[in-house]
Amino acid sequence: MYGWIWRHLPGNAWVKALLSLVLVVAVVYVLFQYVFPWAEPLLPFNDVTVDNQ
Amino acid sequence: MAATTDTEHEEQSGTDGPPEPAARRRGRAGRIVARTVSVFGELLITAGLVLGLFVVYSLWWTNVVADRAADKQADRVRDDWAQDRVGADGPGALDTKAGIGFLHVPAMGDGDILVEKGTSMKVLNDGVAGYYTDPVKSALPTSGEEGNFSLAAHRDGHGAKFHNIHKIEKGDPIVFETKDTWYVYKTYAVLPETSKYNVRVLDPIPKESGKEKAGHYITLTTCTPVYTSRYRYVVWGELVRTEKVDGERTPPKELR
Repeated sequence: MYGWIWRHLPGNAWVKALLSLVLVVAVVYVLFQYVFPWAEPLLPFNDVTVDNQ
Repeated sequence: MAATTDTEHEEQSGTDGPPEPAARRRGRAGRIVARTVSVFGELLITAGLVLGLFVVYSLWWTNVVADRAADKQADRVRDDWAQDRVGADGPGALDTKAGIGFLHVPAMGDGDILVEKGTSMKVLNDGVAGYYTDPVKSALPTSGEEGNFSLAAHRDGHGAKFHNIHKIEKGDPIVFETKDTWYVYKTYAVLPETSKYNVRVLDPIPKESGKEKAGHYITLTTCTPVYTSRYRYVVWGELVRTEKVDGERTPPKELR
């Protein structure tokens, strides 16, 4: 999977490394900005109120 | 990893069939198995990294975001007070959306906690404490009426404003600051663990704390143990006195 991505990135090793870094940053951004905020309320870690549900 | 799988596979199945094309076929099959195993492994590693990142997100990033939001909102409330835009006691003039005041609990550390209306995640995720509107409506100290001023805030992440709630002991002061009054409460009971369905802790007269008569109470709720929300932690206080805010906003002696 990662090997496949590496092989399909253009340029020499340095360019590939740089592009990989950009990809990693993009993935982390999407996770922090969209995926985790969506997943968080579904997980039982952060309910602080008492309620009768 | 890939090489091992390859050889093992060939060894196992290298006895039957015509040698040449079969070997080639099995070589290809081996490669497919190897590739599948390697992709599966990479997916597992990825899942591990994502879970690790989720911990970073929960315990660090949400605090960064929440503190930023809380600071901004707190500044706005202080500005409003300074410019006299909000009459804390005037009917209809109380801007509950922006926050009604600040909570100071020296036992939990320095700093003030902005108090806003509601205990939905949307409110609490901004790094503030919220007063209950549901399931039991909170009384507000500013109304002057007897009742229970019930609050909730996060224990971890999202500002973690009640992180150190376990450090509050009986007798410790809890001070609520509004535009023109300091409300000084004194902790009189702590319930270190209760069910999340125990809404009676929010009652106007919280009987579980040992009180039988109506009074001016304050209730802090959050989740416990830390990093989970299996149970709820409750701290009760009772109003001792109020103090007028002076020109310099000199804090009451409990905070000095």
